[in-house]
Amino acid sequence: MPRAPRGPTLLQAQRWAGTLTSAFAFLACAVSGEMGPAMTALFPLAVAGSAVAGRRFHGRVQWAWTVLLAGALLVFGVQVLAGHIDIILAAALFAELLCIHRLWHRRTGRDELLLLLLALLLLCAGAALSAELTFGFAFLGFAVSGTWALALTHLRSAIEEGRGPAGSAALLNSRRVATPALLSGLAALSLFGIAGAALVFFIFPRVTIGGLRRASRPAPVAGLGDRVDLSRRGTIADDPRVALRVRLDPPPRGEPRDLAMHWRARSLSQWTGHGWRSPDGGIIPVMRLPRRARGGGVPSVLSADIEVIGQFTDGVVFTPEGWPLAIDFRRPGSPRPAARQLYRNAAGDLFYQPVDGGDVRYTVAADPDEPVPGGLRGRGQRYPSWVEADLAVPASLDARVRALAKRLGGGKDPADAAAAIERWLATALRYTRELPGDVADPIADFLFARRAGHCELFSSAMVLMLRSLGIPARNVTGYFGGRRTDAGYYAVRAGDAHSWVEVYFPDAGYFLFDPTPASARGSRQEGIGARMVLLWDSLQQTWRAFVVDYDLVSQTQAMRRIGQILHETGQRLAGRDGAKGRLRRVIAAVGAAVAAAAVIAWLRRLRLRARKAQERRELTADQRRAVALWRGARRLLRSAGVEIAVGTTPGELARIVPAAADIARAYAAARWGGAQLAPRVARAALRELDAGLQVAREHRP
Amino acid sequence: MTPAWRRRLVFTRMGRWYTGLTIGIGLAATNTGNNLLFLVLGLLLASIIVSGILSEQSLRGVRVERRLPSVATAGQQALIGLQARNGKRRAPSFSLEIRERGGDVAGHGFLVLLPAGQSAEAAYRFVPQRRGLHRFEQIEVATRAPFGLFEKSRPMDAPAELVVFPRQVPPPPSTARTLARDGERPEDRIGLGLEVHSLRDHRPGEDARSIHWRSSARAGRLIGMDREQERRKRVCVVLDQRPLRGEVLERAVEHAAALVSRELDGGAEISLALAGAFLAAGSGEAHRHAALRLLALLEEGGDGLAAPEPDAEGSVLQVRE
Repeated sequence: MPRAPRGPTLLQAQRWAGTLTSAFAFLACAVSGEMGPAMTALFPLAVAGSAVAGRRFHGRVQWAWTVLLAGALLVFGVQVLAGHIDIILAAALFAELLCIHRLWHRRTGRDELLLLLLALLLLCAGAALSAELTFGFAFLGFAVSGTWALALTHLRSAIEEGRGPAGSAALLNSRRVATPALLSGLAALSLFGIAGAALVFFIFPRVTIGGLRRASRPAPVAGLGDRVDLSRRGTIADDPRVALRVRLDPPPRGEPRDLAMHWRARSLSQWTGHGWRSPDGGIIPVMRLPRRARGGGVPSVLSADIEVIGQFTDGVVFTPEGWPLAIDFRRPGSPRPAARQLYRNAAGDLFYQPVDGGDVRYTVAADPDEPVPGGLRGRGQRYPSWVEADLAVPASLDARVRALAKRLGGGKDPADAAAAIERWLATALRYTRELPGDVADPIADFLFARRAGHCELFSSAMVLMLRSLGIPARNVTGYFGGRRTDAGYYAVRAGDAHSWVEVYFPDAGYFLFDPTPASARGSRQEGIGARMVLLWDSLQQTWRAFVVDYDLVSQTQAMRRIGQILHETGQRLAGRDGAKGRLRRVIAAVGAAVAAAAVIAWLRRLRLRARKAQERRELTADQRRAVALWRGARRLLRSAGVEIAVGTTPGELARIVPAAADIARAYAAARWGGAQLAPRVARAALRELDAGLQVAREHRP
Repeated sequence: MTPAWRRRLVFTRMGRWYTGLTIGIGLAATNTGNNLLFLVLGLLLASIIVSGILSEQSLRGVRVERRLPSVATAGQQALIGLQARNGKRRAPSFSLEIRERGGDVAGHGFLVLLPAGQSAEAAYRFVPQRRGLHRFEQIEVATRAPFGLFEKSRPMDAPAELVVFPRQVPPPPSTARTLARDGERPEDRIGLGLEVHSLRDHRPGEDARSIHWRSSARAGRLIGMDREQERRKRVCVVLDQRPLRGEVLERAVEHAAALVSRELDGGAEISLALAGAFLAAGSGEAHRHAALRLLALLEEGGDGLAAPEPDAEGSVLQVRE
């Protein structure tokens, strides 16, 4: 006994596909986070409700729905006019309500098609609301489920139209139509659609007008503040979120997995008793960065393409180790002027304006060549007046700190003293993320009581010890490190936040010293969670690079690259690059491929011919002769100037041309009636017609 | 002959909406420069392209033949078969609508799936509203697969003719003009009729029912009898269509057909005398078809035609206005 097929009926599969499509469209909107908790929760509840009780409400209380939708439209309109929400968000919210309404009223194929169109509108609203990678996943889901929904809805409509309500019921409720094979085939079809979408996306000209473009959503700014408090309680969290994405040119030698690089944010010079704060004063625009005093020669340049995630910027410009030479906020190759401008404060920290909370991307060119400590020796201790702030020693500084500083660096050249203190701190004290809590003197507690602390305590202790020796120094905050990702950039994470020291040397400027043990710098996140965060960020970055930020410049560059490849290929084929041996191999390979393709095509043609011959053989010999007779007669008539219209039946032909009556009769009888038609008879009939037409021609007036 | 590559493409209602939305999204994407809208636009355009390729795939290699009924009568349902064969070796064809194009008959059949290399039959019913020749010109195979956005169709020449017999109506009360004796008529030869033809001696082994008992009693021996051959009733239906036009002619033709059928059903041999045409007497289904076909194809006019010449040996049933 044959087993009854399992799985959904055509009707069930079609409805599920429609629901899934609208759910993915809603998800594309919801990931923007702008729809609000109520409207976000409403959709899944409505979907669940329609699945459970939707059929009971079909076509009922329609007036209530109309009132509800009209009211919602009114409310959204007022909110838009009042400036509470923008029109795109209002459209998305209203489209969501329309989708919910349609989900609760699905009776006919037309309702299903309307649902799909509304889902498409919802997806478009999502595209305007969100640029996140999650939209990309929702889009993929929409592409697959939408293909199912469109195809199954079409099938349902076609069956209903073709067979009528009564005749279609059995087929619509059959479990033999929406089989796994059909659904898999449609899913494969959606992959073609996605590939086609990628192709169209790539080649569609990116000429934009730029009107009605939705502004970036302002986000709260947090992160690198202008204060450091050393008396906090608890444990420093190792936050795996990505703060910076960095691409270096030239890339670091050997492209290590972990980058050993300080990413400077800002300096904090003023001691507060329990920490640091930045010096007072405003910021001024910067036209050019100051040049480094050096002995001559062309500086080597390290270019760092830095992307700072919005919530970690605070308007600060990050710079890599070395002397910053230039900062460019324009996209490489873009003709547009930069949207942001560079500023600096009295301490030389760099900032940008305006700060809108969005991600920032810029390129920093820096001279990475730093003098070795030996090269800083002998510069004396005559400091300019503007570094006085970095010489200030708090009056409350513990005498033991002074004594320790004197023991380590007293009487030494400032460069040697700084190196000695740095070395002692890194080797004699232990690193911990445990914060000291509310202590009276965090530095003395760190150096003499706990003898362990985090990077801010190491750097603060070194700054105060150096200042006690009359050497200008300041505390600097930023990030240290960077983990290489599959997307080709280094991800600097929030857990990589770090603090170090800058020491001033006359006629040379500030130089970096880092007393924190090297093994304790930066993030230590290695768990699955941290890897997942990095993987997600890597995907997100790839999404942004190839989809969100793909513009006319990228398109032009891509097209130029393709043109270049074609040109180079042409050059090679023309034998102008001297690589003849390789070229011969390429030509031989291409020739072999063409020959193989030709042979395959020839074999396919042979098979096709054989198949067509087989199909022709399905007609009996008499039927084939009848067809040949019919065609021969038409040919003779055409040559005699008698045009026979398409669709002329044998009977009509006989009436129009009586001389062809016998042929028409013989054709109809043999082709359709199963009669025999001897070749001799067919030939004779054609001869007779020819003769008749000849006579008619001769006697034509 | 219609070339095999010829296609016709029309938007469905859904397709019109879909295309309108695609254009709208394209404009929005161009206006805002939003790449995600370009992505959505790409998906919509790719779906249109995929739809075009798959619909072509569905139509390619499909051959259709029409199967006409042997008899069709005006006012009565006729079933017409459409035999489709998918000549492709691997790819099935989906959602095929097979319909008549051109010609006098409109009808269509629908196939959800036509597997590769297989045949399937769709059929449609139609009720001919008039008698006479019904012409078929082309069969169009159309598909909206896979998404129902567009309808692509492929016309195929399939000329054929169907002669629809006159509508069946009750026969009119006949006004017979007798030219010879009505009813069955004996012939002067031995046969299987009811009348006695001659007497003779009974032959041993002969059926007892052939004994003429009264003569046997009179003669004192068994006398057998031969019966006469009897000829069937012979009726000639006469219709002079020359003065008749329009509905009057139609009613007359229907009455003539009704008379023909009634007489044939009654076992008579009928002949049909029309202006310019005569069908010799005969009986049986083939003769009925011949007579009804002649009536089906009767056209008005023909003033120059000769008057009907009734069968001299049969009763005449004259059809009047």
